[in-house]
Amino acid sequence: MILARVVRIAVVVGLLGLVVTLALAFRRDPHDIRTGTVNKPAPAFTLQRLDGSGQVSLADLSGKVVVVNFFASWCLPCTQENPALVRVYERYRSSDVVMLGVNYQESHENGLAYVKRMGIAWTTVADDDGRVALSYGVFGPPETFFIGSDGVIAGRHIGPIDEETLVTAIEKLRGQASSR
Amino acid sequence: MNGRILIALALLALAGALVFAARPHDITADERVDQITAQLRCPVCQGLSVKDSTSETARQMRDLVAQRVREGRTDAEIDAEFRAAYGDWIFLAPPVASWSGLVWLVPIAVIAAGLVLVTGRLRGTGAPPAAEPTSPDVAALRERVAREEAAEG
Repeated sequence: MILARVVRIAVVVGLLGLVVTLALAFRRDPHDIRTGTVNKPAPAFTLQRLDGSGQVSLADLSGKVVVVNFFASWCLPCTQENPALVRVYERYRSSDVVMLGVNYQESHENGLAYVKRMGIAWTTVADDDGRVALSYGVFGPPETFFIGSDGVIAGRHIGPIDEETLVTAIEKLRGQASSR
Repeated sequence: MNGRILIALALLALAGALVFAARPHDITADERVDQITAQLRCPVCQGLSVKDSTSETARQMRDLVAQRVREGRTDAEIDAEFRAAYGDWIFLAPPVASWSGLVWLVPIAVIAAGLVLVTGRLRGTGAPPAAEPTSPDVAALRERVAREEAAEG
């Protein structure tokens, strides 16, 4: 009888734990998925510019706030989020914030045509073999990573991103950078 | 007699073939790639392994695994590389020694708890044991038996 009582208590505690877990989980932003790379140093990479004018290395952007956006022309949500990216780029273009577009699973020609068509003025690079996307744990475009001036990935956003989310994340990282 | 010898020889040959087929052999690089990618979840698929998926992402992951195998990395090192990027989610079977390992332990614990509850309930609802007759009851029954025997004469 004592064992049965203990089991009953364990079941109640387990159910309570389940309820609390679900309550906490449902409060989280589904776009803010914290997989392995968040709060870890951003994986280094050197990629060819989409326009063929040389290479870009993440190490060269050390000390700056970097917004890495994975995109593709075949990705409809990418076109939806693009106006927000353009506005944010214009807002921070003369600051310590760098935006970097990583073209995902696409030919250089198609990627470059998309960049021109959408008015993308920030640096875009090609992840030809997908290694950078894999090292960042990308599920599919669009995905945006926020890298602090310390080189650590502070957050990621899965799916189309809006201007407010971009500005909030960038300002948080700029604040942290200036307080260092 | 010859027939028995032939059957014995055939059995011996069969056993020899089985032993030969099951002998330990060095695993090839391709077999290692297949083994590793069979455990990895394709990030853009529904419940498919990287080995079984035809998606571009799965192809890129297979290429990466093949390169790591060629470089001489161990299975654990290759797994760690994918875990660093995607977390334990990337494995079709979550590792037992992790938070996600609870998916293995919780069902077992729930089944054990259920068995204990059911066992306790079955014991509790069994027929109550018959009460021992009291002395007056025994005396009354004896008197009744004696009366009926006397009446039957």
